[in-house]
Amino acid sequence: MQAIKQSMLDKLSVEQIKIELMRTAFGRQSVLLSRFDPRILIVWYSFFAVAPWFFHNKTILLGMLVPMAVLTLSSKVSPLVLIIMGIGLVSEIMYILFGSLLFGGSLEAVWPLATLTVKILIISLASIAVFSSMDPEKLSDALLSMGMPAQFSFGVSYGYRMLPILIEEYHNLIHSFRLRGRSPRDKDFLRWRSLVYMGKIAVCAFYPLILNTAKRTRTTVEALEVRGFTYALISPDAKRLKLAYLRVKPLDFVFLGCSALYMIALLALGRIFVL
Amino acid sequence: MNSHRNDSRKEGPLAAAPIIELQEVNFQYPGAEVMALSHIHLTILRGEFIAIAGTNGSGKSTLCKCLNGLIPNYYVGDLSGYVQVAGLIAENESVSSLSRKVAYVFQDFENQLVRPTVYDEACFAPLNYGFADYRERADRALAMLGLESLSDQWIWQLSGGQKHLTALAGALSLDPDIIIVDEPVAQLDPYHARLIYDKLKLLNEQYGKTIIVIEHHTEFIADYCSKVVLMDSGTIRWVKPVQEALSSVEELEALHILPPQVTLAIRETEEQQRPDGIYPVTIPQAVDYYRTRLPLFPLQSIDEDAHAAKVSVPSIQSPATTLVQFDNVSYGYKTITRTLHPVLRGIELAIHEGDRIALVGNNGAGKSTLLKLISGIRRPNDGLLTVCGHLTKHTSPETLSDYVSYIYQNPEEMFIEDTVRKDVEYFLKARSSEDYRPFVDEVLERLRLTPLQDRDGRLLSGGQQRRATLAIGLAMQPSVMLLDEPTASLDASSRREMTAMLNQLQGRVKATVIATHDMQLVAEWANRVIVMHNGQIALDTDQQSLFGHTAVLELAGLIAPQIAQLSLALGLRPPSLSVKHFADRIRKLMGQHRSQEEADSIASH
Repeated sequence: MQAIKQSMLDKLSVEQIKIELMRTAFGRQSVLLSRFDPRILIVWYSFFAVAPWFFHNKTILLGMLVPMAVLTLSSKVSPLVLIIMGIGLVSEIMYILFGSLLFGGSLEAVWPLATLTVKILIISLASIAVFSSMDPEKLSDALLSMGMPAQFSFGVSYGYRMLPILIEEYHNLIHSFRLRGRSPRDKDFLRWRSLVYMGKIAVCAFYPLILNTAKRTRTTVEALEVRGFTYALISPDAKRLKLAYLRVKPLDFVFLGCSALYMIALLALGRIFVL
Repeated sequence: MNSHRNDSRKEGPLAAAPIIELQEVNFQYPGAEVMALSHIHLTILRGEFIAIAGTNGSGKSTLCKCLNGLIPNYYVGDLSGYVQVAGLIAENESVSSLSRKVAYVFQDFENQLVRPTVYDEACFAPLNYGFADYRERADRALAMLGLESLSDQWIWQLSGGQKHLTALAGALSLDPDIIIVDEPVAQLDPYHARLIYDKLKLLNEQYGKTIIVIEHHTEFIADYCSKVVLMDSGTIRWVKPVQEALSSVEELEALHILPPQVTLAIRETEEQQRPDGIYPVTIPQAVDYYRTRLPLFPLQSIDEDAHAAKVSVPSIQSPATTLVQFDNVSYGYKTITRTLHPVLRGIELAIHEGDRIALVGNNGAGKSTLLKLISGIRRPNDGLLTVCGHLTKHTSPETLSDYVSYIYQNPEEMFIEDTVRKDVEYFLKARSSEDYRPFVDEVLERLRLTPLQDRDGRLLSGGQQRRATLAIGLAMQPSVMLLDEPTASLDASSRREMTAMLNQLQGRVKATVIATHDMQLVAEWANRVIVMHNGQIALDTDQQSLFGHTAVLELAGLIAPQIAQLSLALGLRPPSLSVKHFADRIRKLMGQHRSQEEADSIASH
């Protein structure tokens, strides 16, 4: 029992979470969805992120859920992300259910709740599948090519570059607090005192992180100036060169076409079987 | 072939035209009371390798920022005078047109890297300036620096030296005429700093780039630069050829710049001052110098004094209390491919009371990890680690912090409060110590932080930040003090000050472990040296014999202090660790030789 508890704790350590985050961001795996043009993926995603809200027929919703689940599995998503999503879903159902019971509802509320849950699940899985298999660099270029300001798309890719460094620094700051602090001594129920202590540190460590980052930005801004970032903002050449590699290939149309055919078939099926 | 090209370049018609010319340049930052630059006249020829030296705040960086147009286009201030850079009159140009001619590598070069991978970083500038051949440019820049194999690496995976080269590649891809590098040695260990300098030398000699470094490490200036520009409070004091410049020992010392140790040694051993005031400044020059003056070259001198001194060092076998015990400890971390990357393997080590250990070795050898294991923020995967009677595996870092204090390499990560005083108090407050104020006052006073106690640690200078972190550590009243690179990126005077502070630790703590690249610190401070290589302990010895183990030094990428290198080159064993010790030995040898000669001449008469 003690051993299991220890191994569970190890899995939940900051270190482990850090690795999983890094894997998600920098894993560089070649998966099905990463083969398509990022702009096509964004279009595809914007449909599946909105469409579920317009259907109440569970046949259609479940039909949409299946390909999402398959795509998510094919994207080799980190278990951590799925666990977080699972916790989110369960707690969301729980609080609505409690609400309904508290205000005189009954377990009948579960059925309509399930509809809502499926909708949320479809959208979550679509987001996970698309964004975990799309390289943030490509996302940033796709946004630029779709007319977003260059500052914004640069922000995405700069965030991507800074993420590991910020995580590392945050981790060090947490250690700084722990190396000088004092954790609660007495063992109490569910160790809630320790949880509060760690929670407090986790929040406090953000302040030095923000201040340190602010201090470092000076060089970054100067370097951007020297290396022509502001020049590129007003020069069309830079944008054209940068985006020259983005090309919509036949494969992209095949993907969109298949998705459309599937949706049409699903709508037809939904008319026959109404759940 | 290259040397031929080199010569023709220097003698060609282009050489006559200065690549940089400043006349009567003055600059004042907005709101500042003093001039940042005043009456600057400077001419730099194509293909020169220039060092700009001076104390902090003497205007070195400001001068360089005038060359790439950051001043006055980005930093608006009052700029007057004539600035010509690579044929462009700076007044009429913008940052973007100037910085295509002038590459700049910042002192905190890590913040200059804005892209996720090495290749993207090299492409960034040419892409921004709309060069259609940006890929070829990036490839060429990476090839010049030998970085091709790293081109797909993520920036965060690189070591410090690799990041510096990447920043250089990012600047080189614009094919600039001039390359400015701001304090390359400050943030790197000596081994990697030398690699950077070798690359700069290559760019200078093979590709004809004009190189300007801001530098106060004179041994690097002596080995690589052709001219020195000495700056002092916003003015140029002089521009001299390198040997003449570094022989101006008094002037350099007055500005807190340490002259090369070999120059100091030769001045010390010569009976009278030379009329021209020019002395050898590099090790080969010094060896040549002594070759002609010393009898029986190379010397076969074994210094008895040094041996006697060695005995007085507390021997490792002495029955002192063991504070930290490593029993076959291994540690590794998981990489993003979920494989275990070993950092430390089978470490056996005991740290005793009275130890002043210098932990040396190249980057990635596992020095920091070893310290982190002792502090308890990392736990061994295998083996037992006991710290002051506690097994770290079952002890929280909070509990261990009653015995151990760990000072990070980056001071900013230790400032968790908004004033220095609060940071120093944090530990005592958390333990609700009674009336800690007088004690905190004393610690602050001792480290000369009293006037700074209400300021945010982040806003202090480098040397002050180090002192503040030392105060944080001292206030914890630890038995074992761990310091990670306490003298990195400090200038000569702050470094000397830090060494003095570290000497004060004695009596306050039972044992100290310092991970460092600073061999001068090792020579002056340690009584035990542990060399790490590839996650294992390669050598556990004292500092006298360390510098005699040339094979181990080379393996671990360590560079001995200049004076030790010179002693070894002359055949003095064990090598001297200070200029004074070296000079005494040489004087003694010369005296012996002279009396021998006199005796001989009397005998022959």
